Amino acid sequence: MAWYDEDSWATAAFAPKGSTIAITFLLAVLLPILLHQFIYRKATPTTLPSFLLIGPSGAGKTAFLTLTERKVVAQTHTSTAPLAVELLLPEGHTPQSSHYRSPGDPAYERSRQFQLNDTPGHGKLRHFATTQLANPTNVRGIIFVVDAAAVAEEAGLNETAEYLHDVLLALQKRYTGATSSKGPKEIPVLVAANKMDLFTALPPHLVAQQLEKAISEVRKSRAKGLKDSGPALGGEDDSLDEDREWLGEGGEGSFEFAQMEEVGTTVTVQGGNVIGGDGVDVKSWYEWIAAQL
Amino acid sequence: MLDTFEILTTSGVVLWSRRYSPVGPHVINSLIRDVFIEERVPLHQDDAGSKPAYRKEGYTLKWTTAKDLGLIFVAVYQSLVHMTWIDKLLDNIRALFVGLYGEQLSSKHGSVLNCDKFAPYFERQIQDLEGQSDSGFSAPGTKLTPPSSTDNESADESVPTVPLQKLQKPLYDTSADSTPVPTPDTSRPSTPAQSHLLAGKAGPGGKLSRRNKKKFAASSAPVSSGDEASVKRKGKGSAKKNRVWGDFGAEEDDPSVVLDYSQSDLGDEAPEGEALAEINPESWGSRTGKGQFVLKDLDMEMDQIIAEQNAKKEAPASAASGGGLVGSSLGAIGGLFRNVVGGKTLTEEDLAKPLKGMEDHLLKKNVAREAAVRLCDSVKRDLVGLKTSSFTTVEATIRTSMEKALAKILTPTSSLDLLREIQTVNAAGRPYVLSIVGVNGVGKSTNLSKIAFFLLQNHHRVLIAAADTFRSGAVEQLRVHVRNLQELSKREGGQVDLFEKGYGKDAANIAADAVAHAAKTDFNVVLIDTAGRRHNDQRLMSSLEKFGKLAKPDKILMVGEALVGSDSVAQARNFNQSFGPGRGLDGFVISKCDTVGDMVGTLVSMVHATGIPVVFLGVGQHYADLRGLNVESVCRLLMS
Repeated sequence: MAWYDEDSWATAAFAPKGSTIAITFLLAVLLPILLHQFIYRKATPTTLPSFLLIGPSGAGKTAFLTLTERKVVAQTHTSTAPLAVELLLPEGHTPQSSHYRSPGDPAYERSRQFQLNDTPGHGKLRHFATTQLANPTNVRGIIFVVDAAAVAEEAGLNETAEYLHDVLLALQKRYTGATSSKGPKEIPVLVAANKMDLFTALPPHLVAQQLEKAISEVRKSRAKGLKDSGPALGGEDDSLDEDREWLGEGGEGSFEFAQMEEVGTTVTVQGGNVIGGDGVDVKSWYEWIAAQL
Repeated sequence: MLDTFEILTTSGVVLWSRRYSPVGPHVINSLIRDVFIEERVPLHQDDAGSKPAYRKEGYTLKWTTAKDLGLIFVAVYQSLVHMTWIDKLLDNIRALFVGLYGEQLSSKHGSVLNCDKFAPYFERQIQDLEGQSDSGFSAPGTKLTPPSSTDNESADESVPTVPLQKLQKPLYDTSADSTPVPTPDTSRPSTPAQSHLLAGKAGPGGKLSRRNKKKFAASSAPVSSGDEASVKRKGKGSAKKNRVWGDFGAEEDDPSVVLDYSQSDLGDEAPEGEALAEINPESWGSRTGKGQFVLKDLDMEMDQIIAEQNAKKEAPASAASGGGLVGSSLGAIGGLFRNVVGGKTLTEEDLAKPLKGMEDHLLKKNVAREAAVRLCDSVKRDLVGLKTSSFTTVEATIRTSMEKALAKILTPTSSLDLLREIQTVNAAGRPYVLSIVGVNGVGKSTNLSKIAFFLLQNHHRVLIAAADTFRSGAVEQLRVHVRNLQELSKREGGQVDLFEKGYGKDAANIAADAVAHAAKTDFNVVLIDTAGRRHNDQRLMSSLEKFGKLAKPDKILMVGEALVGSDSVAQARNFNQSFGPGRGLDGFVISKCDTVGDMVGTLVSMVHATGIPVVFLGVGQHYADLRGLNVESVCRLLMS
């Protein structure tokens, strides 16, 4: 039986038969559905505005995240992996963009959503944070959590200042390295001085002062320090180090957070405590988040 | 007794925990830091079956992980107590938890997991295992019961001596026959707030108070119906137990009943437990039946989940071995396809060959065998059970994972800013003392003068102490260096001098004198050169301990050459241990990096052996050829 015979499949496929029509119809209806199922099986990536939680280990990043997520602080330990959680801005805070929306508006609910990205703070695991910093697609702001009690001591202050210096330098590089004339979108930084409930904690303005002073020191010793081994090991000539960049106004004088505004980064310092005997106080941080949304 | 059991995620959130006595969070934090992040503690396994243990402040921690879900299960108990069933408990709990909440965990996007209902499962596991260990091989020390109590017959005789403990024991025994369990124990967990209150009850102390309660209860009036019901239920449920106790006399029976009531009274008065609420409205007889049913159900469910999880684990192995010719070839094609497209779940067999290749590659880069094996192991641990992401081959996945492992091992935990440290020490009013040790001919003096040059550029006043009193020409060599450095630093404003006492003197005393001299004459940094010594010569190495004690260096750096091969591990280890307990090396200077090209494996080997960071690299012959470590570039070189 050849394909051109009267009862072959080719003839049947083009004949006005009931079964052929039914198959064609089914195919026409089901194919797009199947294709859709296959291609859009994974949910489209959400483009929620996200905030990055950065800071040295033990500052209270994960605790803040759990507090925002479930209204109570869960017990936490040292993180070894990042965590991203989609959240709603707590009641009583209105996002900046929807001040004039009525509460019943569905867009209002949507504008209250945001994503919080927790990163491990241990020295060996900061690459999670730095990779996110290098390519901040949706990052609306960075919350740098600081242990206000640890900052009162030399060792804690140095560690915090060095980390903050690196974060700010990465932000500055992103601004100065931008190719468009307009410059990249601003990424503000909130220095969240946590653990205000502790007796030894410094008040927020002192935290800011100490950090500014310590960052100046870090910058100074970085300037004097040894060069990186990178080019030398790669066999390149490392006599040129023009591409080194200094935080703040060319690395001169003492560093102030206000200097960062020039490169599109506003630094705010707010106090709060995630855990505490007399209740939790993180209102000022939520206000800051609301202002960025 | 178990102190704490916690189930936490790798992102640091505690999902479920049960504490019997307070254990500071820093204990588990240090476990995570030392074992999971820094991998500092060698995971020595006594035998294949047992899990590694980590000791901290009198506690022993045992743990297990569920890699794909990012879960860590930690059990904390006092090191004094020998607990044989912890491994089994960890395995069972993992199987249970993954079985019950695995889907929820992998599907959801957040840190919240409602696992209040997990408590009864946990309690049952504890009871089962405790009971097994007691009746099975009468583990000494797990309980304070005499060995005679292991079976019911002997229990009969020994009743009068320890009646109360005996009461608990048969209960556990009968529980193995899936007859009911004391209500208070099962109803307790359903009220989380209550568990804290009752935390102390589980230990031997609990028994003591129970005894008191008994005394009190014996004289007190009868109790309310609801509570009595729960008590009665227990008495009826375990018929075996009744028989045992009948011998002793009715008197003993009653107080025990009341005693248990008193405990449940304490626990369940205010917040009524689920189990109790369920039972209350029913009559006595069916109550027993009901209780039995509920508990049996839990038991069966538990066993089923554990069996399921175990079967799942064994499934891939059996599937690989089984299957006809067609099945295996189809699987091979599918595997190849998966390998290209991604989405393949990695097993140990998949990884074995590429990992071998990776190990050879590392060995070619002059990484010591030991370090290479460890790196490959950590990559394997990282990857087994994971799915490759789309369009990546197994090799590529291993590569990225290895890069990550290398970066992790090389990245220092704390800051290595020498200048700031000098500042801090000088602020305290004493000179900063840095000493250099190492094997012969690795470049100790050369690197010392490089560091001196670096410090002079930063306007420090440096005193170089010639504590190599052994090798001829060592002092003269330093004198030449100092003269050169004086010439070089004249314009810069730094100041440098040599402190020497000739040959043959005791190095430790010279070093101590140099520090005292520096403090007097206003030098703010002292650099001490030492004689080179073979790291496996005990006689030479023993003098280092005295040196460390007398000179009290703020920083001890060891110089190692990049040229050295697998000996680097032993060198680093021996030098690190030579300063006596409580003192070790603070960092490495890797010299002659310019002579090895991309074979910089020595860096990894040394850091692997000790967990101490690399501070400086020597990359040339000039004073200025000293560099800080750039982790990324080293990783790039090693992986190229």
